Amino acid sequence: MTLAVLVLLPFVGAALPLLAERLHASRTVLALSAALMPALALVLLIAPAGQVFDGQTVHASLPWVPSLGLALSFRLDGLALLFALLVLGIGLLVILYARYYLSAKEKAGRFFAFLLLFMGAMLGVVTSDNLLLLVLFWELTSLSSFLLIGFWSHQSAARKGARMALAVTGMGGLALLAGVLLIGQIVGSYSLGDALASGDLIRASALYPLILGLVLLGVFTKSAQFPFHFWLPHAMAAPTPVSAYLHSATMVKAGVFLLARFYPMLAGTNLWFDVVTLAGMATLLWGAAVALFQHDLKGLLAYSTISHLGLITLLFGLNSELAAVAAVFHIINHATFKASLFMAAGIIDHETGTRDMRRINGLWKYMPYTAVLAMVASAAMAGVPLLNGFLSKEMFFAETLESSRLGAMSWVLPLGATLGGVFSVAYSARFIHDVFFNGEPVNLPKFPPHEPPRYMKVPVEILVALCVAVGVLPSITVSGLLAVAAAATLGGELPDYHLSIWHGFNLPLIMSVVALVGGVLVYSARNWLFRQYARLPEINASLIFERRIQGLAGGAAALSNFLRNGSLQSYAAWLLTLVALVLLVYLSPAVLDGQRALLPLDGVSLLAGVMLVVAALITAILHRHRMTAIMSMSVVGLVVSLAFVRLSAPDLALTQLSVEIVTLLLLMLAMYFLPVRTRMESGWPRILRDLLLSVIIGGGVGVMAFAMMTSDFQSISGYFLDNAKPGGGGTNVVNVILVDFRGFDTFGEITVLGIAAMGIYALLRDLDLLSAPSDSLGRPWAREVHPMVLVTISRPLLPLALLISVYIFLRGHNLPGGGFIAGLITSVALLLQYVASGVAWVHRRMPGDYHPVVAVGLLLAGVTGLASWFFGHPFLTSTFDYLHWPLVGKFEVASALLFDTGVFLTVVGATLLMLANLGKLSLLDDKAKEGA
Amino acid sequence: MEAMVAVMIAVLVGTGVYLVLRARTFPVILGITLLSYGVNLFVFISGRLALDQPPIVGAGPSTDPLPQALVLTAIVIGFAMTAFLVVLALRGQGETGTDHVDGKRDDGGEA
Amino acid sequence: MEHLIIAPILIPAFAGMLLLLEVRERQPLRRFTGMLSVLALLPVAWALFQQAAGGEIQVYRLGDWAAPFGIVLVLDKLSALMVLLCTVLAVPALLYACRADDKRGANFHALFQLQLMGINGAFLTGDLFNLFVFFEVLLIASYGLALHGRGPARVRAGIHYVVLNLIGSALFLVALGLVYGTTGTLNMADFAVKVNQLDGGALELARVAGLLMWVVFGLKAALFPLYFWLPATYANATAGVAALFAIMTKVGVYAVARVYGLAFEQGALAGLGRDALWIMALLTLLLASIGVLGARRLGEMVAYMVVMSVGTLMAGLAWSSPESFGAMLYYLIHTTLVSGGLFLLADLVARGRGKLGDQLVAGPAPTGRAGLGLLFFVGAVAVIGLPPLSGFMGKVALLQTVPAPLYWLFLLGGGLLALVGLSRAGSTLFWRATGDGARRRLDRPRLLATVLLLAAAPALAIWAEPVLEATVAVAAQWAQPQLYIDAVLGGGA
Repeated sequence: MTLAVLVLLPFVGAALPLLAERLHASRTVLALSAALMPALALVLLIAPAGQVFDGQTVHASLPWVPSLGLALSFRLDGLALLFALLVLGIGLLVILYARYYLSAKEKAGRFFAFLLLFMGAMLGVVTSDNLLLLVLFWELTSLSSFLLIGFWSHQSAARKGARMALAVTGMGGLALLAGVLLIGQIVGSYSLGDALASGDLIRASALYPLILGLVLLGVFTKSAQFPFHFWLPHAMAAPTPVSAYLHSATMVKAGVFLLARFYPMLAGTNLWFDVVTLAGMATLLWGAAVALFQHDLKGLLAYSTISHLGLITLLFGLNSELAAVAAVFHIINHATFKASLFMAAGIIDHETGTRDMRRINGLWKYMPYTAVLAMVASAAMAGVPLLNGFLSKEMFFAETLESSRLGAMSWVLPLGATLGGVFSVAYSARFIHDVFFNGEPVNLPKFPPHEPPRYMKVPVEILVALCVAVGVLPSITVSGLLAVAAAATLGGELPDYHLSIWHGFNLPLIMSVVALVGGVLVYSARNWLFRQYARLPEINASLIFERRIQGLAGGAAALSNFLRNGSLQSYAAWLLTLVALVLLVYLSPAVLDGQRALLPLDGVSLLAGVMLVVAALITAILHRHRMTAIMSMSVVGLVVSLAFVRLSAPDLALTQLSVEIVTLLLLMLAMYFLPVRTRMESGWPRILRDLLLSVIIGGGVGVMAFAMMTSDFQSISGYFLDNAKPGGGGTNVVNVILVDFRGFDTFGEITVLGIAAMGIYALLRDLDLLSAPSDSLGRPWAREVHPMVLVTISRPLLPLALLISVYIFLRGHNLPGGGFIAGLITSVALLLQYVASGVAWVHRRMPGDYHPVVAVGLLLAGVTGLASWFFGHPFLTSTFDYLHWPLVGKFEVASALLFDTGVFLTVVGATLLMLANLGKLSLLDDKAKEGA
Repeated sequence: MEAMVAVMIAVLVGTGVYLVLRARTFPVILGITLLSYGVNLFVFISGRLALDQPPIVGAGPSTDPLPQALVLTAIVIGFAMTAFLVVLALRGQGETGTDHVDGKRDDGGEA
Repeated sequence: MEHLIIAPILIPAFAGMLLLLEVRERQPLRRFTGMLSVLALLPVAWALFQQAAGGEIQVYRLGDWAAPFGIVLVLDKLSALMVLLCTVLAVPALLYACRADDKRGANFHALFQLQLMGINGAFLTGDLFNLFVFFEVLLIASYGLALHGRGPARVRAGIHYVVLNLIGSALFLVALGLVYGTTGTLNMADFAVKVNQLDGGALELARVAGLLMWVVFGLKAALFPLYFWLPATYANATAGVAALFAIMTKVGVYAVARVYGLAFEQGALAGLGRDALWIMALLTLLLASIGVLGARRLGEMVAYMVVMSVGTLMAGLAWSSPESFGAMLYYLIHTTLVSGGLFLLADLVARGRGKLGDQLVAGPAPTGRAGLGLLFFVGAVAVIGLPPLSGFMGKVALLQTVPAPLYWLFLLGGGLLALVGLSRAGSTLFWRATGDGARRRLDRPRLLATVLLLAAAPALAIWAEPVLEATVAVAAQWAQPQLYIDAVLGGGA
């Protein structure tokens, strides 16, 4: 369990510096608080490390999401140990270094928190024993790297670099996720151990090329392999401790770590060799060549890092066990010398204020101590004997000579390797010579530079000392760790190899010599080379990437806006086209197989039908003449009501008719404010399209209607007819259904009405509208606001209408009528007062706010429903009993009537709330006009 | 009779569809209203047609009462919705100064 | 407590009515009533969820009429989950709105409560026509809420939203007419039984009815090509409303799941429209992720993320295996809460930036830049589906259970586009900003509401296992429609 705790420690530790910053602690305390948990983790690592050196693998596992196969499983084998040491060890050094690097103004607490977040994520990657967990931590490293690169968020380069890194590595992470899921499908488990043991199964799978492609996409993006290398140089916008830590020693190594980790699972095929070796070789050469031409100190180191990562990748690609050992070895060596070089570069930047090698020259005079450290590290990078870089580079050269996969073309590998070596020496030489010698500094922002604070150099010293120690005494210092790490990588026996400085005069040595001499020659020709390079068109990856992304975003916006063009007509057309398609495709003539006898058509009905058709068509064709359209539409409504009468639906007819009147009033009122004429604006293509849609949908619905009417069916309606009287206590079955069988629908429906009234009220409040000055024919509106005739007739009409309402309401349960219709009739009668006598007149006599009426109506209906809890509760145990209880039958009548009263009140309240407020609008309008 | 009712429904739905596809709020309101007439009739006839058989118990044979109840509900809901739409159109006129469904001004600008 | 089932409908209904009765516009009283209602809903929803988890499907006969004649409410694991989710979302959404947004128009609190009534009713009802009625309740309330506040952009978006949904309602009625005209019933369970006894022309008509329902539900859920109304409507709604609307699209998803699971998973019309839903879902996913990338306002971006999630969910649904359905439900919970939180966050950012609002252009830093930046980071990571938050768990679950290459490509590729889009947005809003934001403190309750919702991301990740177990159990019950049918029709028919 120590292991799991150990990995999670840095996450806990991330809170400490934030806390310290809150308490206004000094930078030293901040750094100490940040270092606490990693140091603890390093101490905790000692015990399991011992087990690992004894040849064991330490496991720890906590369940997390078994359903997904995700567990907090960790393993510590040699490879994990090696990386854990790198992550924690270099991490601590970086914290120390950053203590001096960050200025007092900067939010060091946040910086350390991000750094520890990353440390935890990276530790998680290298120790995960679960593939999904690995991906999880993998993406976390991308996210924390995003935050760290963007730490100086006020700088445009930092923001762009951060986003680019996130986009590229994020893409890789998603690919890796897909790859891992496929592996999980094949293996049947996401345990790393199981997956490593299933190498043959995976390699034999038809999915292997896909899996390999996906995993390698993750690897190559993370480890900045060609052609995904471009993000790394731009990640250098990060503070230098970040570059030293993430972008040289650890995070970019996650990719090659994965090559090592998955080596037993995925390596060994020709496909692996071809892709991995090729990518590695391309990266090695490209990175090394471009590095030479960087004038930015960190740029040089960044491309050098790319190149070295290519080298490691290439080694893994060779499918040779020895090469894999060399790769692991070079991972260690590169981490030490490159981290120290970045720190040195940071010191120089810090002390001189610039990183431009055309300006920082001759620093030997000002900071000799730092110069020595940097020069040793550079020499290690160049592969100079007696330093660690030499050893692994020798092994690399030797391995390129061994491969025979390319047949007659095999010489390409050592040639490329040597060429890479040449450039590597050349840029290392540049780093040494340009910076520390080569004349005097040019126009430095800070002059003269000094040696940095004492403790800022300590991390560099430690790393450089390691370079030398490994280089001189490899067998004492590093061989043990290398052996366990390499063994864990290969997942079995180690090949025979010797770490020694002298292997005799052999081909690798000659390659080394060629590289050293060639590199110095290339460097001495630098001025000519720089001029040639300057002639090449400049490739600014950041700019290109940014433009691409902007182009992509622009294209995305254009496409989105093309589809979502802000036109209701087009949205509605999409919707209706979909409907038309459904009807066209699925409505076959087979639906017309009904056998039901048809009803005779009488003359009056035919006449009414023709009237409806004509009126509907007039409405559609003459819709721009608004008054005509309203008139013809009310004819339609009237005929529909008549149709209901004819077709045995008196309740519907009454409802339709009263709704019709209210709607008509509403439309007239609305017309008062809307522009009087509708402009003709649809072109013929659109009109044709709309006509087509109308014909298809109208026709389709008509056909379906005919199909239904002409076929027999079984329905549940018999039950209602049978139970309306005994169970519901009424003979008007429609009403019983509304207030009893499906009373809940009605409850919802009056709620809708109430909400609509509320919404309308909200819409009308504080709305300023001026009516059009004249009607559609250009005549002014009548000046006589309240015609005397109407007033005279309407006032006595009110009590009469109310009386009718009561009658209709009371008989509703047994004969056509009920709460709705009564409510609507009352509303119409009241509205007539508004129309005839004006809003002001009515308001003097009636409550102005109808909200409470709606509320009381709804509450009455609701409480009636609730009441049955108290009365009905004992009976609800058995419906059957309930239905046959004569007493309850009576109760039902009473409660239904109350419910219907609620309906009545809601309808009255809602209708008046809507129309009275609309009427008030005209009142305001009149006032406004009088004022004007 | 059935054929005529089917034609009525088809015409109502068709004209409704055509009008809701127009660019001004007023014809859209008309379209929604016609569409709901048609649809309400459609729901109504799902109980099949019957002449002189109102669903009153004790008054002889009776037509299917359930679709009538459904349509009654639908009419009221449709009324509420239409009313809301009408007022929304007014609000649109008030806030955008035009009765175009997309708030486009007649001069081409947007409110 | 057998009556408890109806409480999620009645509590907000009565709260809404009482609020309507309060005519003197005493905002504190209104806020108190509203909050009281949603807070009362929380234990109710939880208790119902626990009840349903027992495995027994409860049926509540309204008016004590047996199904299929009366209307029934049905509490199974799926409806209980949805009600719970809606309630959990409603509390912070309302809390946020209570900080002054509710004063920007009339009747906000009543509308909010009745909106909840409609949503919960849609989740609980076992009757198709009653589903229509509750759809109308939730729609009319949402019209009012979407238009709450003023401004031409809101009205313009509102007109689109309202008209499209009115057409949708008409189509739903046509479908219901066909349902009744062929099977002679409206009860969902009964329909599921009867539709399998159809043949000939009636079966063909029932097929059209089913497909029309898909169109209607697709409009509610905002599937391609029916999602165009959503970005403007959501982006222009006030924050609390937009947050609540995060569940509205899920009502559409739920409706498809419910009807499909009951009637079209097997039998005469097995797999009805499945392929079409699948294709539409994938296209939605693709186009919405493009929309995220191209968005010019944060609110619009989040709205497109909502559409993306609909594509993700519908595809998981169209795959129609119990496993994919379980994964889909986990993702549904995640996306509802997180996108709700992001809508609130977008508003917090907009408020802190003055005139610029949530437009994605460089400008002054929002108030509380660091804190909001952190929240944005968490929300973005979650909604994109990056580890270690809920979105990652949901995506992994979906990828594992929907092994279709195209889906993987679109889901992961869409995630990448969203990553690019959101990192640009975050960089512009929080990094490219000038100044350190106004000195004013962030409003505490608003911040609390936002944090509450976004806390779902880590919480759902940490407790991914119990949540997944629950959603898988929901899916297992969903995959056995006979249980539902027997529960509803067992005693009465």
